[in-house]
Amino acid sequence: MPRGLLATFQTLRRRDRFEDAMAAEMRFHVERYTEDLVLSGVPPAEAARRARREFGSLDNVKEDCREARGLRPFDEMRRDLRYAARLLRKTPGFTATALATLALCLGANLTIFAVVDAVLLRPLPFPAAGRLVSVYNTYPKASVPNDGCSLPNYYERRGQIPAFSRLAVYRDATAVVGETGATEQLPVTRVSPDFFSTLGLGPVIGRVFTEMETMEGKNGAAILTDGYWRQRLGADPGVLGRAIRVNGISRTVVGILPPTFSFLSSQTLIYLPLASSPDERAPQKRHSGTAHMIARLAPGATLAEAQAQIDAHNAAVEVNDPEARLIADAGFRSLVVPLRADHVAAVRPTLLLVQAGALFLLLIGAVNLVNLLLIRASGRVKELAVRQAIGASRRHVVSGALVESTLLALIGGLLGLAAGAGGIRLLALLGVDRLPLGSHVVFDARLALIALAGAIVVGIALGLPVAWLSLRNAAALGLQGESRGTTAGRAAQRLRHAFIVAQIALAFVLLAGAGLLGLSLQKVMTVSPGFRPANVLSGQLVLPVRSYPDRQTLLAVVERLTAELGRQPGVQAVGFATNVPLSGISNKSAATVQGHRPRPGEPPHGFYSYSVGGDYFSALGFSLREGRFLTAADSRRAERVCVIDEDFARRYWPRGGALGQRVFEGPGEGEADDAYTVVGVVGPVKQAGLVEDEAQGAIYYPFGHRADHSIYLVVRASLPVESLAPALGKAVRRVDPELPVNDLRTMETRIADSLVARRSPALLAVLFSGIAMLLTAVGTYGVLSYAVTQRRREIGLRMALGARPEQVRGQFLSLALRLLAAGTALGVLGAWLTGRAMQAVLFQVPPLPVPLLAATIAVLGTVTLAACLQPAGRAARTSPLEALSEE
Amino acid sequence: MSKTADLLPGTLDMLILKAVSLKPLHGYGVLLRIRQISGDALDIPQGSLYPALYRLEHQGLIVAEWGQSENNRKAKYYTLSEAGRRRLEEETAGWNRLASAIAAALSAEPEEA
Repeated sequence: MPRGLLATFQTLRRRDRFEDAMAAEMRFHVERYTEDLVLSGVPPAEAARRARREFGSLDNVKEDCREARGLRPFDEMRRDLRYAARLLRKTPGFTATALATLALCLGANLTIFAVVDAVLLRPLPFPAAGRLVSVYNTYPKASVPNDGCSLPNYYERRGQIPAFSRLAVYRDATAVVGETGATEQLPVTRVSPDFFSTLGLGPVIGRVFTEMETMEGKNGAAILTDGYWRQRLGADPGVLGRAIRVNGISRTVVGILPPTFSFLSSQTLIYLPLASSPDERAPQKRHSGTAHMIARLAPGATLAEAQAQIDAHNAAVEVNDPEARLIADAGFRSLVVPLRADHVAAVRPTLLLVQAGALFLLLIGAVNLVNLLLIRASGRVKELAVRQAIGASRRHVVSGALVESTLLALIGGLLGLAAGAGGIRLLALLGVDRLPLGSHVVFDARLALIALAGAIVVGIALGLPVAWLSLRNAAALGLQGESRGTTAGRAAQRLRHAFIVAQIALAFVLLAGAGLLGLSLQKVMTVSPGFRPANVLSGQLVLPVRSYPDRQTLLAVVERLTAELGRQPGVQAVGFATNVPLSGISNKSAATVQGHRPRPGEPPHGFYSYSVGGDYFSALGFSLREGRFLTAADSRRAERVCVIDEDFARRYWPRGGALGQRVFEGPGEGEADDAYTVVGVVGPVKQAGLVEDEAQGAIYYPFGHRADHSIYLVVRASLPVESLAPALGKAVRRVDPELPVNDLRTMETRIADSLVARRSPALLAVLFSGIAMLLTAVGTYGVLSYAVTQRRREIGLRMALGARPEQVRGQFLSLALRLLAAGTALGVLGAWLTGRAMQAVLFQVPPLPVPLLAATIAVLGTVTLAACLQPAGRAARTSPLEALSEE
Repeated sequence: MSKTADLLPGTLDMLILKAVSLKPLHGYGVLLRIRQISGDALDIPQGSLYPALYRLEHQGLIVAEWGQSENNRKAKYYTLSEAGRRRLEEETAGWNRLASAIAAALSAEPEEA
């Protein structure tokens, strides 16, 4: 009855007042009755006595009134809680161990779950975010799995796909923002006008972009994020219409986004219109993926319908495309995928793996606690039997056990919340904010509620075996006491031993899993990046179009920068390139070898393509295989030359002879004058990561012939290179005071950072296994220690009959060994299954390498047996006289 | 006291509702009033009065309020709520039907059987 329950809660809220009122009301009754009796002639003392007697037992009446108010279950719960709390206070050692175990295990799970929740579960902050999709072009046979989308894609599809209610494109970039002398480089996003309506969340003040503003030259508008508006403009309420300088151009602020606006992992502070010229929207650019497409599924439309419509639309527009054949050979398709799933696909397996590890830890901790609780309960068998004998119901025995374990779990859960809050801070050190959506990881009420609910579930689960055993014991034993031979005693012992075996097996799996991740990381770290990373610094520069409109000016500024940086003390070589290894960007483009006749169906291939200036190859430390490196002078020569890497050379000239060959930039042969002559072959470098599936091939053009506005500077020094960073920044500002240097990192840092997705899970797994080892040791110690105490009389008897201490010790150690052997056997099986399931995230590591197996057995065996030495030793030191005289 | 009758199960609630329907009463007053309106025929065990009052209040059939008693002491007064009034009507009608049916059955003459 909900009304009644509501009334009960209201009474509970003002419980003291309720009790006082009830007492006052009954006192009043008795007094009035007494007065009436006195009036009718009864002597006062006799009247008071009679009034109280006729009223009946005050306590009973009150209890009945409380029950009438539905307070009974709450009062019972409170009594159980008080009793449980008293028991826990009486055994501080057990309570501390249990709480520490729970805090660690729940905290670890909460920490990892915070990440899983933010990255995989929590809806994106947009209305009906599940209807948002991403559409991207893929050319699998050209080894270009994701090329984003092109502007023609957007303009051709807009309004043509019924399954989409909205369609938009965006492009991430950086821009120099601010007045001369106080500029900073900021991430910006250029978006089509319907970007915000597709997401379903737009400016709170002002307006979105107009179609007019997407025309090149007319794009003088900007929409600011709440963060930029508050931090840089002091939350100026009259900001609309105010001008800000972006890349040297004055733009008008037309809108402010709400504070909650956060698009995927974007750090963007300013949104600009994605402006383009008619040329950029022409069908020839259909396969130049320079942007990303998002769309909102129309009501009732499915992903499959959208995919079918996109496929049909692609087929229709490609009919007259001269490149259609080439594109089809590359396996071209446009894929429609859920926006969020696509964004986090790469990290999903690793995250789930780490969460599984944390759950294993929790399982080990829980098994440990169940065993400790069982041992505790064994000590209370008589007490429970007495309670049942004097009328405690079965329900009462069960609820008593559950209340105790739930109380433990709740306190442990609260401690776990604290541990989790700390853990989430720790995650920042492990690079969690660099995960997709990683910056959304927060510790909030939702997480706290889930954690506490989890703690209650754990608490009930912990209490169930104890409750079961208590009922069984009480039924079997009555008041006889726990004799060693009873079936209930044996069942309890079997249960404890089974739990120890399970605990050892789980710890084994966790330890082996951590070992696999470690081995895999070690294997990856031995992979050579292809260059000499020591003492090399690299950073990104974006050269504004306004200051550097063409190739000549771009080349000139790069040359001036090279000279200025080269003058810094300690600098050995300075180079520039449009991309550096492990920069996080791994775009590829096509290149065509002159005279190469593709076999029918041979797909075009995407190569890593770099334009390099200065002394790039020496600065980064490439190895030369044939010919020569490109030099600064190649940029000024009319004759076009290039350098390719070994993978490129092997692809076309497997038997050698690459030098002197001619290569065109792009997917087809052009004018003979446009060809680049190969003058050198260098060793391959790792672009996307130390682990790449297959050799991709790379080509290096002189910067003067293929200039770009976004470049990386690379400096090799004879000194520790970090100390050079401030001087380099100043040197760049001497050349152009408006140029900030971005993403300045040593190449060694870039390598380390590229491994974060492997290192962090491995570190977490090691941490988890460490805790698991500790828990296993505590669990084994606890159970064996109890066994020794319980069998003290038997040991004493055997020793009195002539058993030597070594025999007694051996008896307990052999019990430990049997449990260890069973746990290990199960663990090996589990570890092998786990290793197989983990293959996707491992690098060149078999499911269960023999050395790892041996090491895991050794570590776990040592820890478990070490935990048994003390109890076994205590057994051996038993004095027969004392043991037999007890009780 | 031999004139007093034992209460039938379930009738205490009805009597309490009836008693407080006439005017607001404190617990002791309810006891006196039931005794009075039944012509001293019904005597309620004092201990079972309060659990019944608390149950009726819990069900929202009566409402309690602190007030001044006849001799200026604080006492808890009960009044009938709207829901209580409806319940009293239902129970009264139900009781009357039952009572007349039983009376009719008990007054049946042998020749009419």
